[in-house]
Amino acid sequence: MVTRTEEEEVNRLENQVENGGGGAWEYLCLVHKLKLRRSDLVLKHGLSILNDSKKRSALGPEEWTLYEQVAVAAMDCQSLDVAKDCIKVLQKKFPGSKRVGRLEAMLLEARGLWSEAENAYSSLLEENPFDQVVHKRRAAMAKAQGNTSAAIDWLNKYLDLFMADHEAWRELAEIYVSLQMYKQSAFCYEELILSQPTVPLYHLAYADVLYTLGGLENLQMAKKYYASTIDLTGGKSTRALFGICLCTSAIAQLSKGRSKEDKESSELQSLSAMALEKDYKQRAPSNLSVLSSTLRSLKI
Amino acid sequence: MAEDLVLDTAIRDWVLIPLSVVMVLIGILRYFVSKLMRSSTQPDPKIIKEGQVIIRARNLRAGANYIPAKSFRARKVYYSNEENGLLHVPKGQAQNPQAQMFSDPNMAMDMMKKNLSMIIPQTLTFAWVNFFFSGFVAAKIPFPLTQRFRTMLQNGIDLSTVDVSYVSSRSWYFLNLFGLRGLFSLILGEENATDDTQRMMQMSGFGFDPSKSLGAEKDGLDIIQHDWALPKFEQRAEAVLRKLVK
Repeated sequence: MVTRTEEEEVNRLENQVENGGGGAWEYLCLVHKLKLRRSDLVLKHGLSILNDSKKRSALGPEEWTLYEQVAVAAMDCQSLDVAKDCIKVLQKKFPGSKRVGRLEAMLLEARGLWSEAENAYSSLLEENPFDQVVHKRRAAMAKAQGNTSAAIDWLNKYLDLFMADHEAWRELAEIYVSLQMYKQSAFCYEELILSQPTVPLYHLAYADVLYTLGGLENLQMAKKYYASTIDLTGGKSTRALFGICLCTSAIAQLSKGRSKEDKESSELQSLSAMALEKDYKQRAPSNLSVLSSTLRSLKI
Repeated sequence: MAEDLVLDTAIRDWVLIPLSVVMVLIGILRYFVSKLMRSSTQPDPKIIKEGQVIIRARNLRAGANYIPAKSFRARKVYYSNEENGLLHVPKGQAQNPQAQMFSDPNMAMDMMKKNLSMIIPQTLTFAWVNFFFSGFVAAKIPFPLTQRFRTMLQNGIDLSTVDVSYVSSRSWYFLNLFGLRGLFSLILGEENATDDTQRMMQMSGFGFDPSKSLGAEKDGLDIIQHDWALPKFEQRAEAVLRKLVK
């Protein structure tokens, strides 16, 4: 996760670099470290360093990681020629390296040569069956081809061994949501909450899945997770506020007349409605009427 | 106090400096030799999986209160049931590391290689130093020291009258052996330094048993009481919102 101070640092550096203030290398390092996806900027500034032989040699051995970073960014931006050049340089420097082999396979993938890329990845896996990146690339490739069931298979296979990898769990959860397999997705989100209990994003997504599943019990759970999202974000998550309103009215509809908890829970609902109204007044006054009519239709 | 000994400058030129240079060169040579001999070992999938299971189980233990009771119970059974739970280690199957070592010749071979690359050059240099430079004073440190340092600095000289600030050649060898680590990490890169002391530590710590930590993790899971934290969050959210609305 990227903390707030890190994000500020990145933004500050990005501004500085964009306005020609130097510090491109520091920016690239930070992007690499935080695993951000700013491919266009990385490509632009990375290339400017690589094309300047004086700056490039000043990096020392870091030069090669920069080549790798730029190659990946170039593939992301579809500048395949640049990527090819970078990979060629790396190939010359490290003949027979598996890490370069991975880049070559990725280049094949970027060109859309799926079967060739698949072959390259499988031969890489034969040499080293525990290469996590290659496993993930395979799943990503299946997803890129629109073959979600294969992507799920790959991810499940991968998670069977590397079961503590929360990125893979997250990807799997999102794929399950897109296929409307909510129960499976809920399991994945539980796993994510377990691995990082203080990330509000996972609480929110889990609540969404529970709400979509429906049923009184799930709705009540969803409401609790929306509440925890509000607590973790300090009430700044609009989606969670709406979620509370929707959950409460859905619960009221389902348990007409026989619930006793209503009184205490309606407090939370009215509070979140008020918070929503306040937020809208501040940030989108033109949409306030839509909001109030929506809230009215939920009988708040 | 014995009067000052005057050290021949030839000692500096032919003992002190050559000894240090040779130690550095041997260190570098050893690094490259061990790099050549290092075989890329395939990690055992079972060990990787066990490590991952332990991480996941630890997460479950730490975050148990954040998931609903039903989900927690399902996971607990999945991890620790007696038939095929992930954390369950069947009795008798837990290998002790010694047996494991003998069953896997690669592992013993690896250990041997590591040890050989460490022991052989060390014995050779020690013999060399002993043979050529035994028993004379090679340097003087510019400050006085107490008697306790005598064994450290005057190894090989059995004279109690020599001032402690004189360093014997054999002690100079030992000082180099253990003191050049910083220099190696500078020359060969951070992690590549041939770190003798650390290697010795590793050797004594050899014999880590993953099945034991699996069992410990299972016991930890067994005693944990699930207490869903989420109902509390509703009140906390209310408090947050109340503050926000005001």
